[in-house]
Amino acid sequence: MPLWLGMIPFAVAYAVTARAAGLSVLETQLMSVTVFAGASQFAAAGLFASGANALAIVATTALLNARHVLYGLSLSRTLPLTRPQRVLAAQFLTDEAYGVAVVRGPQEPGGLSFAFLLGAELSLYFIWNASTLLGALAGAVLPDPAALGVAVVFPLAFLGLLVPLLKGRLTVLVALASGLGAWGLSRILPGGLVILLAGIGGALLGALLSTRSQNTEPQA
Amino acid sequence: MSVLLAIFLMWAVTYPVRWLGLSLGRLHLPPFWLSFLQFVPVSVFAALVLPEVLGSPEWPRRLVACVVGGLLMWRTGSLAPGILGGFAAYWGARLLGL
Repeated sequence: MPLWLGMIPFAVAYAVTARAAGLSVLETQLMSVTVFAGASQFAAAGLFASGANALAIVATTALLNARHVLYGLSLSRTLPLTRPQRVLAAQFLTDEAYGVAVVRGPQEPGGLSFAFLLGAELSLYFIWNASTLLGALAGAVLPDPAALGVAVVFPLAFLGLLVPLLKGRLTVLVALASGLGAWGLSRILPGGLVILLAGIGGALLGALLSTRSQNTEPQA
Repeated sequence: MSVLLAIFLMWAVTYPVRWLGLSLGRLHLPPFWLSFLQFVPVSVFAALVLPEVLGSPEWPRRLVACVVGGLLMWRTGSLAPGILGGFAAYWGARLLGL
């Protein structure tokens, strides 16, 4: 339940940003129905607003959602699924659904099941899409999103995703390096490419530093 | 490229990755790439936030909004007060002529 409360403002903010970026209600909703990945949808809305190249938007989506392979790998180790079950569960797999399945699933009688996973996924899917519609329609009623300063909601929403992830010095370092790098690059390169390059660069830095520290720890 | 095509391609790069993970339960990724994937969100989110704040013509207002919003998110541990408080701070700064 607390997850739903977190999703609603995020979905509404996504929809308002997407509408302000010039997407129609149908396009805004279609993205929630098909892609169904909050962070990448929101990033895409911001990139559409800045007039970024569509291929850069798709590439950023691919980078952001590459982490979903981890959730799949982790789930399939504890929960054997048939082929049709995998085809279905994959469409609705998100950070939140994974979190619920891994934390709450084992507490269910009989442990984590396909029914529990799909139930968690579908309830989040429903909330996400209903909130998108609400935000998309509210966005149409707002007089002029630009004059209201709605654009500031975009960095605020991503700050909301970033803050809980900042645990320890390494994540703060990666965030600073990537953020400042993106700011510097944004003066010379188009928006979509900046996110992609800074995103990959920051993650490589994090991977490099964390695997190196793991290798040296036993000797220390 | 049309918006609809972009949305379709976004879906086309998202769904297969989710399916692949569910289908490759026995695969072991090298630690470096596991770690890379774990750092992607932190890195991309930061890259989305900072240029939107510091690179904006109205950066002082946005900075105030994000400092207030970020502190609220950190203290309350939830998104909604942070967005609302940050938006209020943005308007406060704007009305004060920042």
